[in-house]
Amino acid sequence: MPMMTAAQYEESLRDLNLVVYMFGKQLDNVVDDPIIRPSMQAVAKTYELAHRPEHDDIMTATSHITGKKINRFTHIHQNIDDLVKKSKMGRLLGRETGCCFQRCVGMDALNALSIVTYNMDHQLGTQYNSRFLKYLEYVQENDLTCDGAMTDPKGDRSLPPHKQPDPDLYLHVVKEKANGIIVRGAKAHQTGAVNSHEIIVMPTIAMRKEDQDYAVSFALPADAEGITYIMGRQSCDTRKLEEGLLDRGNILFGGHEALVVLDDVFVPWERVFMYKEYEFAGQLVEKFAAYHRQSYACKVGVGDVLIGASQTAAEYNNVAGASHIKDKLIEMNHLNETLYCGCIACASEGSKEPSGTYSVNTLLANIHKQNVTRFPYEISRIAQDIAGGLMVTMPSEMDLTAPATGKWLEKYFTANCDVPALNRMRILRLIENLTLGTAAVGYLTESMHGAGSPQAQRIMISRLANMKEKQRAAKKLCGIETDDRKQTTEDR
Amino acid sequence: MLKVGIKYCGGCNPYYDRVALVKRIADRLAGKVKIVALDHDRIDLVLAVEGCNTACAELSQFDGKKIRVITYPEDAKEFIQEILG
Repeated sequence: MPMMTAAQYEESLRDLNLVVYMFGKQLDNVVDDPIIRPSMQAVAKTYELAHRPEHDDIMTATSHITGKKINRFTHIHQNIDDLVKKSKMGRLLGRETGCCFQRCVGMDALNALSIVTYNMDHQLGTQYNSRFLKYLEYVQENDLTCDGAMTDPKGDRSLPPHKQPDPDLYLHVVKEKANGIIVRGAKAHQTGAVNSHEIIVMPTIAMRKEDQDYAVSFALPADAEGITYIMGRQSCDTRKLEEGLLDRGNILFGGHEALVVLDDVFVPWERVFMYKEYEFAGQLVEKFAAYHRQSYACKVGVGDVLIGASQTAAEYNNVAGASHIKDKLIEMNHLNETLYCGCIACASEGSKEPSGTYSVNTLLANIHKQNVTRFPYEISRIAQDIAGGLMVTMPSEMDLTAPATGKWLEKYFTANCDVPALNRMRILRLIENLTLGTAAVGYLTESMHGAGSPQAQRIMISRLANMKEKQRAAKKLCGIETDDRKQTTEDR
Repeated sequence: MLKVGIKYCGGCNPYYDRVALVKRIADRLAGKVKIVALDHDRIDLVLAVEGCNTACAELSQFDGKKIRVITYPEDAKEFIQEILG
C-alpha cells in the first residue's frame, strides 16, 4: 500500500492503541473525539490530495529506494525540484485546511536523519544509515504519518542536560540491553502527535561528552508501551463541544499539540539511529531545524485564507472600495508573498549532501522563519482592523437560532443587503479563529516558537551570513586595503 | 476522436479552477475529444493545464508526444476553437 487514501488513514488510526489524556481523563476513542477530530481531518487531507490528479505533481514523488510512487511526506529530497515542491505543498495544504496539517515535521525528521546517519557512518564506522533506510522503506511502503519529536522540556535553561536536578528533563537512555535500549523523558509541543503512526525522537540541542546519554535518536510505534499523550489546550477549544458549527470559525479542520511522556520505553536496536554519538547531536538539530524552518511555507497558505477572509469581510461590510481598505489588503499580500519568497528561495538555493539528500540553504531557511515569527502577527492585526470589533463582540450561533434573539441579530448584523447576517458572522468567526481562536495556536504562536524561537534563527543568521565578503566589497569601494594594514598619512 | 490526456501542474496557487476548466473543455468538445488516462497506450495530445505563468507541470515523461499548454482560461477558448474548426 504505497499510498493510503484519507479513509484508509483514518481506519489505520483506529488500529492504534494510544494512551491519550485530555481534561484529566483518558480517552476511549481518539479518532472521533470532537476536539481532536478536526486535526485528524487536516492530516487526512495530506492523503486525500495525493490521489487527486490536479495536485499529483506536488503531493507525490518517486521513492529513491523502491522507485514506487509515494506520498511526498515520506520522500527524501533528491533534487532542488523536490525542495521547491515541498514549499509549494506547504502553501497548498495551508490554504486548503487553514491550519497546521501536522505532517511536515515527520518528513523533516526523515530527511535530517538520512543525512546525519550517513555522516555518522562515514566518520565513525557505525551502521546507522542502512538501518535508517530500512525504516524509511517501511514508512514509505505503509504511507505512515510520523511525529518528529525534538523539543525536550529542558528544565533549567542555564544548565546542560547532565546537570539538570531532574535527569528526565531531557530525554535520555536509562538502560542498555542486548536487544535495545530503555529511554525516559518527554517531548513537549508535539504537533499532530496523536494523529501519527510513528514517533521519531531526536536530541534537542548540541551536546558534549558529559551529555552522551542524552544524544539519542530513534523511532517508535506511536502506541508503544510506556508512551502517554497529554493534550494541550487551545483558546476556544471547547466550542467544538457546542451544538452547531458557526462559532468554530473553521468548521472542518484544526491542529493539536500534546506533551508526550516516554516512561521507560523499550526501543529495539533496529529502530535506534543515534546512540551516544554526542558530537552529531548538533548536526541533527541543525539539519532538522533548517528543513523545518522551510516548512513554515504552510503559513503562506494560511495567510491566503486570512487575506481571502478579510477581503470577504470588507465586501460584506460594503467597504471594499475604500482606498485604505485596498491598501491594507495590498500590505497583507505584500507580507504574505514575501514569506513565500523566503521558502522558495531557501529551496531553490539548496544543495546536495554526501548522502545524496538535498538540503535547503540554511541561511535562507532561517531568514524565512525569522520573517514568519513576525509577518503573520502583522497580517492578523490588519485582518482584525478590517473585520471590525464585531468579530469579538458578536453573540453566539445559539443566539442567532433562538427565536427570541435571532430576529434582532438578523436585523442588526445585516450590513450589505445582499448578504445574510449568517454569512457575515461566519467570515468574522473564521478571522477570529485564525487570529485569536484555536487556529491562532498554529498561525501565530507556532509561527513564533515552532522550529525554534526567533533568537535561534538570529544565532544561525549571525553564524552563516557572509560577512567577510560584505566587508571586502565595502572596503574596496572606499579605497581601504583588503588586508587592513595600518595606513599612514604618507601612504595615502 | 482525439484522445487527450490531462496533465495538471501541482496547483499550489492557481489563478483559476483548473478542474472546472477541463470539464468545460470536455463538455464543449464532446464527440470530438475523448479524455483518457495519462498512461493510455494511444494518446494523441497531452493537455498541460497550468495554474499560473510558472507553468511547472512535469512534462518530461511525455517526450515525443504532442503537448498543448493551457495557462489561462483564454488559452482553453483558443484550443476549443481550433478543434471545432
